[in-house]
Amino acid sequence: MGSFFKNIYRNKALLFMVLPGAIWFFFFSYLPLAGTIVAFKEYRFSRHGFWASIVRSEWVGWDNFKFLFSTDDAFTITRNTLLYNIAFIVLGLVFAVLMAIILSELVSRKMSKIYQTGMFLPYFLSWVIVGYFVFSFLSMDRGLLNQILGWFGMERVQWYSDPKYWPYILILVNMWKMIGYNSVVYLASILGIDKSLYEAAMIDGASKWQQIKGITIPMLTPIMTIMTLLAVGKIFYADFGLFYQVPRDSGTLYAVTNVIDTYVYRGLMTTGEIGMSAAAGLYQSVVGFVLVIFSNYIVRRVDRDSSLF
Amino acid sequence: MQSSKKRFSFVLAMLTALAVVLAACGGGGSAAPGDEGSAEKPVELIWYTIGTPQKDVDKVMEEVSKYTAEKIGATVTMKMIDWGDYQQKMQVLVASGEPMDIIFTASGGFDYVQNARKGAFMELDELLDEYGKDIKDTINPAFLEGSKVDGHNYAIPANKELPQQEVWRFNQNLVDEYGLDTSKVRSLDSLEPLLKTVKEKAPDITPFAMDKNYVPYVPYDYVIQNLPMAVKLDTTDYQIVNILDTPEMKEALATMHKYYQAGYVAPEAATTGSTADLGKSGKWLLDRAQTQPFADNLWSQSNGYPITSTPASDAIITNNSVQGSMMAISANSEYPEKAMQFLNLLNTDPVLRNMVDSGIEGTHYKKTADNRLENLDESKNYDMPSYSLGNNMLLYLNPNDPENKWDEFKTFNESGVDSPILSFNFDPKNVSTEMTAVQNVKEQFWSSLMTGTVDPDKYLPQAIEKFNQAGLEKVMAEAQSQLDAWKAENGK
Repeated sequence: MGSFFKNIYRNKALLFMVLPGAIWFFFFSYLPLAGTIVAFKEYRFSRHGFWASIVRSEWVGWDNFKFLFSTDDAFTITRNTLLYNIAFIVLGLVFAVLMAIILSELVSRKMSKIYQTGMFLPYFLSWVIVGYFVFSFLSMDRGLLNQILGWFGMERVQWYSDPKYWPYILILVNMWKMIGYNSVVYLASILGIDKSLYEAAMIDGASKWQQIKGITIPMLTPIMTIMTLLAVGKIFYADFGLFYQVPRDSGTLYAVTNVIDTYVYRGLMTTGEIGMSAAAGLYQSVVGFVLVIFSNYIVRRVDRDSSLF
Repeated sequence: MQSSKKRFSFVLAMLTALAVVLAACGGGGSAAPGDEGSAEKPVELIWYTIGTPQKDVDKVMEEVSKYTAEKIGATVTMKMIDWGDYQQKMQVLVASGEPMDIIFTASGGFDYVQNARKGAFMELDELLDEYGKDIKDTINPAFLEGSKVDGHNYAIPANKELPQQEVWRFNQNLVDEYGLDTSKVRSLDSLEPLLKTVKEKAPDITPFAMDKNYVPYVPYDYVIQNLPMAVKLDTTDYQIVNILDTPEMKEALATMHKYYQAGYVAPEAATTGSTADLGKSGKWLLDRAQTQPFADNLWSQSNGYPITSTPASDAIITNNSVQGSMMAISANSEYPEKAMQFLNLLNTDPVLRNMVDSGIEGTHYKKTADNRLENLDESKNYDMPSYSLGNNMLLYLNPNDPENKWDEFKTFNESGVDSPILSFNFDPKNVSTEMTAVQNVKEQFWSSLMTGTVDPDKYLPQAIEKFNQAGLEKVMAEAQSQLDAWKAENGK
């Protein structure tokens, strides 16, 4: 016991730095965990506050989960959510690392900063704004793309009612928005790589490509693995704004734009059952949790040092 | 050592601050001693209402409180929540047991029926009898009758226009310019010659303005707004039907598709959230809207150019129109009797009602006659939505209001015909799983069908099939059995 406190005292500076985050997690992630029981209840207000409401609401077992699996849509939304997220994870990783390497290889630091900021900007835009950007390209009568098609004498496209283009559009838009943010992490770790490694490689006559392949990528592998593992945990969560705002909630596109989050939103707008939305959230996190544990297990089998825990 | 001591006291200070914040969050809940609620020792009523928060709310409520403390022994604190946030913030506030007494509720803002069933509001039957007699004498009885949920009142509706009537609105400038005749317009089909003329003569005008919420009018009342279950207005057997299966809707959708293909409707109507821009630019010929007496004046004023209208439907009293603006007493209210006394006063006392609506006399407005007022410059700091704050017919008239304004409202209300399912409120509790699936199908097909964007010959059968797969038939059967029980109970 004594060594425990000694340990704390010795690491007080580090622990102090962790404190704000720990408090945040306690209040916003651990404390609300108790509330997940509402997923198994039919929530009714009680005049004695939130906890009384939860305690007094009726147990309904798994009833709140049924709506997620009851129709043909269950397959569509699960497929869409999974496939889009896999595409985002894979392409996001490849392009973010690529961009980070390109930026780090730029000779002019100033230009590198300018490009970096430029790529970072879309990350700060809300999806509503991005939705309007996309609309200015795809609008039927005034959109840029249809104007261009018109110049070449081609038929105008009803973008917002033809599902076949949307997987590409959504992936493209998501990449454009997220890549700057993701590449910053990799750029930071590239800048942290010991320069003497590159000097030694150059003395041995290694080309740029050999340096990247032999030094940069291997040095980035642990952070790539961690970022990917974290992304896998969110694989059942879809970015609501992307799938709702960007296709302008167009019904004819649902076959390729309906994901778990939009389905839940549309389904519960009228009935407003808190229990059912809690059930959807719980389902998403449990699947995410299992996937993280599973993929971490595999990573640990392959390379212990790269695993999360 | 000095510095680590300092650090320690900093941590201590932070923790204390945190503790204080937490304690403040958990506060509330005071005992009520005997002599509370008199003019000397008034109780405080907390009132949540919808609208953009106004700068002078507290100032005005101070005046209001002086008046109400005198009359009923209660003071009033008003908390306004902005339009777009109201629904969501109220869900959280009510769920977390935040102290409150009076809550604005409507079919479209912190949903009335749903939250009454979930126990957010206090049942008012006895309170109404005891403290709300004047309300019963003053407001049109159809309001209280129509807003019953499972046989009980949970809120006091604002006395205002009672029926719902659809009209075609015309941009009068264009009507004059192209010499159109609007007098023969009523049905959807009757619009065609007008739309055609404008399309040919002015290609940059949108002849038929609509957003994605547009639904062609058919003489049915929906069991739940915008779900395809409905009952025909002149029904005798109270049969709930799928609106997409009715001959009226089929015909309307075919007409809409014809209009869409002819270019009378904007190509992106099915995904357009609002036609406000179109309204500002004046580049539209006609659209459909719900009316009230002297609505043309209001519309012309807000658009800045003349708008006229002709009826597109009869005036029907529906749940939706009755439940358009109400005030409920929170289930956790500490002073429900006082709250009811306040609502009673608000709905019957012109002094209080106009103070709440227009602010302080001499600061925000000046009176020009017994029942007329004129806004002063300061009124921009207290610009309230009149419809949400109780009995509208007590309001003083604005300079350009006609003298007979409220009489016309009364006549309009008299002209309304009850919907057969007025005051029947479907309880989706037993079919909530199916409801979410049905809702999703609705979102998928509704706008594109209703705006005429897609061909109903192809998509209507698809939509009906998907609705049935999602369980619409089960939902309809449940609704039908509830309706039959309701019908038997009410002797229809």
